[in-house]
Amino acid sequence: MAAAINMIIQASHLTKQFKSVRRKEGVLGTLATLFSHDYEFKDAVTDVSFDLEPGELVGYIGPNGAGKSTTIKMLTGILVPTSGHCTVNGIVPWQDRQANGRGIGVVFGQRTQLYWDLPLVESFRLLKAIYGVSQASYDRHLKKFSELLGLDEFMRTPVRQLSLGQRMRGDFAAAMMHEPAVVFLDEPTIGLDVVAKEAIRNFIASVNKERGTTFILTTHDLNDVEKLCARIILIDHGRKLYDGSIDAIKKRYGPNRLLTADFLTDAAGVDIRMPGVAVLERDGQRIRLEFERERVRADELIVALSRQADLKDVTIAEPELETIIRQIYERGLDRSGPAPQ
Amino acid sequence: MNLAPYAEFAKRAFSREATYRAEVFTRVGSVLLRVFLLSTLWTALYRNNGAKQGISLESMITYATLALLLDLIYGVNGAYVIRQKIREGSIAIDFMRPISVPLYVFADTVGQTGFALVQIVPALVLSFPLLGLMHAHVGGPSGGIAALGFVASVALGFLLNFLIDLIMATATFWTMEIFGIQIMVQFISSLLSGSLVPLYFFPNGLQKIAFALPFAGLYNAPLSIYIGKWQGRDIALGLGEQALWLALIWFAAMAFWRRGERRVVVQGG
Ligand SMILES: Nc1ncnc2c1ncn2[C@@H]1O[C@H](COP(=O)(O)OP(=O)(O)O)[C@@H](O)[C@H]1O
Ligand SMILES: [Mg+2]
Repeated sequence: MAAAINMIIQASHLTKQFKSVRRKEGVLGTLATLFSHDYEFKDAVTDVSFDLEPGELVGYIGPNGAGKSTTIKMLTGILVPTSGHCTVNGIVPWQDRQANGRGIGVVFGQRTQLYWDLPLVESFRLLKAIYGVSQASYDRHLKKFSELLGLDEFMRTPVRQLSLGQRMRGDFAAAMMHEPAVVFLDEPTIGLDVVAKEAIRNFIASVNKERGTTFILTTHDLNDVEKLCARIILIDHGRKLYDGSIDAIKKRYGPNRLLTADFLTDAAGVDIRMPGVAVLERDGQRIRLEFERERVRADELIVALSRQADLKDVTIAEPELETIIRQIYERGLDRSGPAPQ
Repeated sequence: MNLAPYAEFAKRAFSREATYRAEVFTRVGSVLLRVFLLSTLWTALYRNNGAKQGISLESMITYATLALLLDLIYGVNGAYVIRQKIREGSIAIDFMRPISVPLYVFADTVGQTGFALVQIVPALVLSFPLLGLMHAHVGGPSGGIAALGFVASVALGFLLNFLIDLIMATATFWTMEIFGIQIMVQFISSLLSGSLVPLYFFPNGLQKIAFALPFAGLYNAPLSIYIGKWQGRDIALGLGEQALWLALIWFAAMAFWRRGERRVVVQGG
């Protein structure tokens, strides 16, 4: 484990199995449930391992029910793992909840940590007391966060009257008030409009860059991930499918690029016979091709095309992360692309 | 441990209570009504049978009235929010913070009780002359030591009461429905603590059971000291017994809490 010493988050073989008593109907059923040994088991997270270096901003991705929130809850000390081990800032979260709490910040998209009945600023003051933030740091953070997130206009509004976007911005400020080294974001942009999403993405990027704060971002919105994260961890059915850079996953599992060529004349006569190139669609003067990035060079392909007719315009597109990931979920990791080298 | 956050929680609970002004008056009103009914009842009972177990009618009315005041102090049940937090899953938010949840809830209880003490109790004391008109005379403590002993005993009772509430709330980690347990414990407690009828009036067997249980520390101990039923050595023994129970139940409550905390399940998001 020597290499793991400077890792800010370590998860090794994390596993969470939920056990619940199978419920029975009716009044007698309720009584029977109390003494029942008829359990239902649900494997929410199975054998998940990963390490994060300080300052990383990692996307933790998976469809609904994949086990993202359960993983976050184990790393934040809320849930005790069924087996496996994890440390955050060198602390085992569930064993020392309070120490862990000092070093982390959390934003749950579906659950606020603000005090519902109090004006937003009162929540911040209470957090200041809870984390023992000095008056000077508090003032500085509040000023900074207000600028970045535009909190001023609703600082004195009770949280229950805030719009979702305002509330989320408040939640972000709340999570960062004590300058945690690690921040967990569980679906933080869910249900937000484009403007609010953008404000929050900028906030995350700036805190990550300026303070070197480590982020784990759980989301189903891959735009968040493409804009913010260099590295992603993909899980499905509680198991890790992929852990690596977005570039690598695109290279490995999205081997084809798309080329759209517009000709000055009708493209019906254009016929490309090159290994690794396939025609997807013909439409008058336009033709759409798919080509393997490893086998075919874009410039050679364009030269070949221009020999057949006069080219007006050419665009080349990378595969969408979303498409690739959907393919991985649908077909599994192995068959959706060439085997890892 | 840094206690500053907990002082803040207590302060906030106090001011939160202070915003429910209308409730203060209804609470005071309802206590006054009960004081009146109970003193009428005891007066009638005494007229037929004379002094009982060495407790004069005056002492009895004092006992009953103070028991109603203690109801206000013990009635706060700040631990009850734990049940709600577990049901809603918002306990997750508390668990990711650097705070002890039982201590946080205790601080909140102290804040609420503090408000009851500084607002409701004086309001009641001010209305005692009114009670005088209703022939519900409330006597002072039987002496200086009794007054001190009473305060100490109420403080111990307050802690004990909080821990009992905490244990019941902790049960929510296992079963979401604790209402039944709650009602049962409340019933046993109100009967065997001496809050309704002094334990001295109980038939011998029941009295032995009541004295052997921790609930007697809630009402019987402080009120026995106040009205002078206990003197000198008895006061010390009574307080010692309360402290012993408190330590025992404190260990049990903490162990129970730790087990519950470990098996927490938070659904959703
Ligand atoms: N408290 C629980 N009891 C039983 N099953 C649960 C519980 N919490 C989550 N699950 C199940 O575990 C799986 C993973 O859930 P979760 O981690 O919330 O997924 P995600 O956040 O990726 O959508 C789901 O199938 C969910 O139904
Ligand atoms: Mg989730």
